[in-house]
Amino acid sequence: MSSPATEAEAAAAAAADLICHLDNVQGIVDALSSVRWKRHQDAVVEVSEHGVVLIVEDSGCLQAKVYLQRELFIRYDYHAQGRPRFGVGLGLFVDCLSTFSVPGHSNTIEMRYPGPDMQLLLKSIDSLDACIYAEIRTRIPETISWDYDFEPAGSSPLSFTVRSAALKEAIDDLEWPGSSVQITLQPAPPSVTFKGEGHGDLQIEFMYYANTDLLIAFHCDHAVSHRYKYKFLRATTSNLPSNVTKDNRGSKLTIGRGGMLKVQHLVSVARSSAAHQHSASGYQQPSRIAYVEFFVKPEVDGDDA
Amino acid sequence: MKFKAFLTDNGVALLEKRFLPALDKIDRTCHLYLTRDHAAFLHNLLNGDGLQSVAQFRIEALFDAYRISSQNDDRIAFAVDLSLLHRAIRSSVGICNELAADAGGSASDRLQIKLVKKLPANSTQPMPFLTFETKGYKSAVIQDVPISKPMSRAQVSELQSALDSAHALPRTLVQVHDLNQLQSFVDRMRHVGDVLNVSISKHGDLHLQIATTLITLGAEFRKLPILGERADAPPEDRGLSAQARSERAVSRGDAEAVQVSVKHFAKSLQCHTARPDCAFYGIAEQGACLTVIFQFFIPGTRQTDKSISLYCRLPVLDPGTN
Repeated sequence: MSSPATEAEAAAAAAADLICHLDNVQGIVDALSSVRWKRHQDAVVEVSEHGVVLIVEDSGCLQAKVYLQRELFIRYDYHAQGRPRFGVGLGLFVDCLSTFSVPGHSNTIEMRYPGPDMQLLLKSIDSLDACIYAEIRTRIPETISWDYDFEPAGSSPLSFTVRSAALKEAIDDLEWPGSSVQITLQPAPPSVTFKGEGHGDLQIEFMYYANTDLLIAFHCDHAVSHRYKYKFLRATTSNLPSNVTKDNRGSKLTIGRGGMLKVQHLVSVARSSAAHQHSASGYQQPSRIAYVEFFVKPEVDGDDA
Repeated sequence: MKFKAFLTDNGVALLEKRFLPALDKIDRTCHLYLTRDHAAFLHNLLNGDGLQSVAQFRIEALFDAYRISSQNDDRIAFAVDLSLLHRAIRSSVGICNELAADAGGSASDRLQIKLVKKLPANSTQPMPFLTFETKGYKSAVIQDVPISKPMSRAQVSELQSALDSAHALPRTLVQVHDLNQLQSFVDRMRHVGDVLNVSISKHGDLHLQIATTLITLGAEFRKLPILGERADAPPEDRGLSAQARSERAVSRGDAEAVQVSVKHFAKSLQCHTARPDCAFYGIAEQGACLTVIFQFFIPGTRQTDKSISLYCRLPVLDPGTN
């Protein structure tokens, strides 16, 4: 039979905080890859009854979170008290997961935490005669050094939604001046400006009424302007999976209190066989989306205009 | 020392589209070894630390009007750059096809290949070349592929004895059909580590594993068809993890395990480009090497095409040095 439930295995299963099954490994790999911006990144994974959250952090100025809600999993058994957290190398985790994703085959895998030695255990469960398995050693997570509590800047939100592809292109173009990028939102005329200053300067403007196909939504009741380090801004789009641009999705940017920038992307985790393109807007069931959020702290001398 | 032959349509199809691209991925240079009955492309047979590969063809599979003579029992061997050879064949075939279309005939008797010595430009020393000559009614196109000096009698006999020694088969071979799946798995796995543990059991299990201090990643393929010695798996092993199962089989003497380089393993899978119908994996006596034998069927049948043989031998890493 397919479930060789020996006593030891049953006991191990009962002891696990989390056993989950997922049927689209590549989607999860894409979602997690979007927060990979350098070679060695330590990630913290938090497991709860709502799903799995992976958090990465850089120099106290940039934090990224990937939310894998429990709806993305075809089975989600959670038995822990509190919210267990563990540390894992992001690169290793993603490379390992991608080994399970065989193009052209449906792959269902089981993820289990913790193993007998606090490992994260992965194994493929869709074939009896071929099995891939992995044990990733986890670490005790470091406490995150800086609090990224995002609060709205005022009573009305300061935010805009832009096509992810256009945002990525704009940020890629700003590489040339380098160093820092000033983002300005102004209500009249409603527009967003990215201005890079360094070796020369470059200004990219999104006018709300001029290109509604690029700038999809815009909320701003007073002008605001903050500067962000280019390398952190770039990290927010540098590894955006191709399905985000293919599905023509939008990314939402919000400026919070103190100029903290929140960038939100939606990454499709639809099963490849079921990934039927419904319409040009790329509408898919919300349950098949992984949410990716970046928080970027402004440069210290950033001033409210 | 003379070598002259016409490359047949079948020979062109085998070399141009299948074997040369595959062999080129293993290593750019190889030895071409020609005898009265066989032509073989050999990688790393004379130095022990690389991935060895042997692609051997019966003369009829590649050539027509084959003439070879040398003072060393009609054997000739030399080193050649596979990508140059591939380019020369590809463009000769292109020209041939054009000429054949004009003349309305087959291209088979028009692509001649021969060994020549020529004086290259800016040189006073004549150099050996493999020449491809494509003849039309009014014109001929000649392409020269530079080759190494033909190997000495001693080197050729060293090559021949290395070839002979590779003929011993492992006691148990397991058959893998889906090379695509294996290749995509190994390509992804190579990001995780450099050393691959391979274990092959008499129960038909192939177990691949990379283990580092941070991660253990493995794949187990079970109930594969077996060639050679086999044994029934004990029923109590059924519920075990892949790792435990392979450890128990090794300790019972029902399986052998070796360590090889992930890079070599991935390279050996490049032979897949030559479109074999399946592959057999086995561990040579006393764990000397991991042997991969690719099998080709006669098109349209399930019978082995005995005119083609392709196999790789992966050197085993000493566990102490890693």
